[in-house]
Amino acid sequence: MKIHSVGFLSALIYTTVALTAAGLFLAVTLSGEYSWVARIGGAGWVFLLSMIVLMPTVTSLVKRKHQA
Amino acid sequence: MATTQDLKKAYLSIEGMTCASCVAHVEEALKGVRGVKGVVVNLATGKASVDYDPAQASLAAMKKAVDEIGYKLVLNTANLQVTGMTCASCVEHVQKAVGDLPGVTKVVVNLASGSARVEYLPEITPLSEIKRAIQEIGYGAVERAEGQEALDREKEARQREIRRQGINLIISWSIGLLVMLGTFQPYWFLPSIIPEWMNNKVLLFFLTTPIVFGPGRQFFINSWNGLKRGLTDMNLLYATGIGAAYLIAVINTFWPDAGFGGREATFYEAAALLTAFIILGRYLEAVTRGRTSEAIRRLMKLQPKRARVLREGQELDIPAEEVQIDDLLLVRPGEAIPVDGLVQEGYSSVDQSMITGESIPVEKEAGDEVIGGTINKTGAFKFRATRVGKDTALAQIIKLVEDAQTTKAPIQKIADKVAGHFILGIHVLALVVFLFWFFVGYGLWFVPESRLILTPYLLAGMGVFGFALLTSVTVLIISCPCAVGLATPSAIMAGSGKGAEHGILFKGADAMEATARLNVVIFDKTGTLTKGQPSVTDVVALGRLTQDEVLHLTAVAEKNSEHPLGEAIVHGARERGLEAEDAESFNAIPGHGVEAQLDGRSILLGNRRLMAEREVALDGLVPEAERLESEGKTAMFVAVNGEPAGIVAVADTLKETSALAVKELHRMGLKVAMITGDNRRTAEAIARQVGIDRVLAEVLPEDKANEVKKLQAEGLKVAMVGDGINDAPALAQADVGIAIGSGTDVAKETGHVILVKDDLMDVVAALQISRQTLRLIKQNLFWAFGYNTLSIPIGAGLLYPFFAQMVSPELAALLMATSSLSVTLNTLRMRGYIPPIRRSRARRGQMAVPARQLAH
Repeated sequence: MKIHSVGFLSALIYTTVALTAAGLFLAVTLSGEYSWVARIGGAGWVFLLSMIVLMPTVTSLVKRKHQA
Repeated sequence: MATTQDLKKAYLSIEGMTCASCVAHVEEALKGVRGVKGVVVNLATGKASVDYDPAQASLAAMKKAVDEIGYKLVLNTANLQVTGMTCASCVEHVQKAVGDLPGVTKVVVNLASGSARVEYLPEITPLSEIKRAIQEIGYGAVERAEGQEALDREKEARQREIRRQGINLIISWSIGLLVMLGTFQPYWFLPSIIPEWMNNKVLLFFLTTPIVFGPGRQFFINSWNGLKRGLTDMNLLYATGIGAAYLIAVINTFWPDAGFGGREATFYEAAALLTAFIILGRYLEAVTRGRTSEAIRRLMKLQPKRARVLREGQELDIPAEEVQIDDLLLVRPGEAIPVDGLVQEGYSSVDQSMITGESIPVEKEAGDEVIGGTINKTGAFKFRATRVGKDTALAQIIKLVEDAQTTKAPIQKIADKVAGHFILGIHVLALVVFLFWFFVGYGLWFVPESRLILTPYLLAGMGVFGFALLTSVTVLIISCPCAVGLATPSAIMAGSGKGAEHGILFKGADAMEATARLNVVIFDKTGTLTKGQPSVTDVVALGRLTQDEVLHLTAVAEKNSEHPLGEAIVHGARERGLEAEDAESFNAIPGHGVEAQLDGRSILLGNRRLMAEREVALDGLVPEAERLESEGKTAMFVAVNGEPAGIVAVADTLKETSALAVKELHRMGLKVAMITGDNRRTAEAIARQVGIDRVLAEVLPEDKANEVKKLQAEGLKVAMVGDGINDAPALAQADVGIAIGSGTDVAKETGHVILVKDDLMDVVAALQISRQTLRLIKQNLFWAFGYNTLSIPIGAGLLYPFFAQMVSPELAALLMATSSLSVTLNTLRMRGYIPPIRRSRARRGQMAVPARQLAH
């Protein structure tokens, strides 16, 4: 696997997982009485923090797998 | 594959590192360079120690790797005057000759000005090699005057950073305070002194924006640079914290009904003060970094620039680096001695305090050694250079201290590992806290009348998202261990510098930590506790031989011995007018004695064990030997032709400070042992005189290491104090090997700790400095880590259900900045530290300590 494809694969994984987390958050809020600001803002914050957590971990995991 | 011997070591100065995560990133980037086998990065020095295979790794590749992750490799720049260039192809030649050198990253040759500007790393390619490369292809090369300033490049880089953060500090604090006054205008007594327009939200927006995107811009850029490469650092915590506070304020200003608390909850002061506090922390860290490396800079400044050399009867004033071995040099009163050497003629006293810590000037006359970098006080003298350039004592000491400062103490390795995972952990925690307060906490405990601690804000208008977000941001800020990167290395640097100031050289941070944790100190007897210059005290003759005959025969047997006891016997015989002729044959029996042949007589000299092995009956001599041994003398049996002939007793004198040093070590709670090849009775007599409680006697030289091992097996942390050559295996086996009295050739020593002077009190001082350093590290780690960790539950809202009070982001930032301030102030305390043993000796007048230091 080429270096740039490692980056692309990592980005694909962490973005997908972070989007899923944000989507899940949004889905849960739909069952409660939350304003749309809270729903969208909350989903945005969950997406941001998930990305921050996942970017370095997923990238290093994929790199390690690629090197192995 | 490169063996360890093929590997080279380079010290790279890295600019732009701000926290423990940066250290991890740089280490990872350099480890990724092909041919790099090991990397240790020290945040406090801003240096990376790189072990690399020169056949595979180049400096250019390392520079590229460091540059790529957003940091900068600091290189020296030399401006050379190149003579003899006439055309463009000359430029090409010089460019290629210099550019091909392994430590050169960039070379620009200018034909018009006849100059070459070279960017290089002196540890890999010294300037002399660059000049030689040019000279070898037929051109002349001399250093331009401004090139000498390259030594201060590192200092300049530090000062630049201090200046930059200082400007940021002024901007953020001056505007930040205005924002705070404006935000709080409606509360307390402030309406009477602050005009109402100061509370205008749009004005506050215009005041805060330049802070966030001016001084605060560095956090966003650095964290984005890291994220692009999948790296997280503390900048990310700052960026998310400042960004979120600013974003809430902007939304509440322009879209007040969005559910974030409305116009009454614009946290502009949070964004502004958060930036200001973080920059305060940065500024303090930059100052600490500059201060802690002062010791090494002070040592470097000692290196004299010029030397007065006598060549062909002429006195020449040349650069000190051009002095060669065997050059005859002249030094006048008040001048610095340029290199190491031996005095040939003249008499003077020399201040060696900068190297040995001993501030009483030392008298020098023909035959005495002088050390480069020390100051000639009274007379003029000529000396012959014996060590120049990187071999001088001063250069070796600088290298040792630099090496020590680029190593990591075990405690730091743990701290770095934890810090590396901590940031990710904090983000996970911030996410969990957000989800908890969003879905559970807000519904259960939110009270509209609740407030942020130390602010007049009511949280009444705050919606569920605003409240959960505020808590999440506070967790991010409050738990940031921003001072942890400096906590250990700054203390190690301060400690190793302090050691060097007193002639105590720690070979690494691990040695310093191990010294602080010692339980037992073992002293070698001869030459360590004693002066190592024994003399003959008694001669006992048996049978028909006279005392002189016994002494004469033993002197013959010992004539070729290099053992101190042998030398004492030969000297003793000479003093009595007995000249020892050469033996026909000679054989040293290590740890036992010697045997020799003279005029058909076989002479055997040694201890009981040797006599027993050779079946020599000692019956008549034993009571006399026991009497001598009980007096602390070493009794050596003499046998001629297999028959007992007598005893020669030799005694060594104790050093003046031995008993005092042992007493101090006991007072510090250490056990003290003595190891010797002498018989138990003699050893115990000596031990009694100095107050030693454990004696390891009759130990053969090769068994000393095993004795150390036995003590270690008891779970004790053992230091072995001895001379670095004879006791090398035991020094290496000990947890800490302390080589004493190494003099100026410090690089050859085996020990983990090198004592330049032959003074046992320095063992005590080494322990005191290392203990103080470890104490400092622990305190720093507490302030940097534990303190923040303890604040996390409060930031996460643990107190809210009980007291309806939340920590505001700016209070969280204040707590965070306090940890940086504590680490900085705590480390700077080490500057005025004097080991207590030095302080008390100075009071007794045994050793001078500069008045400036005693005043602390």
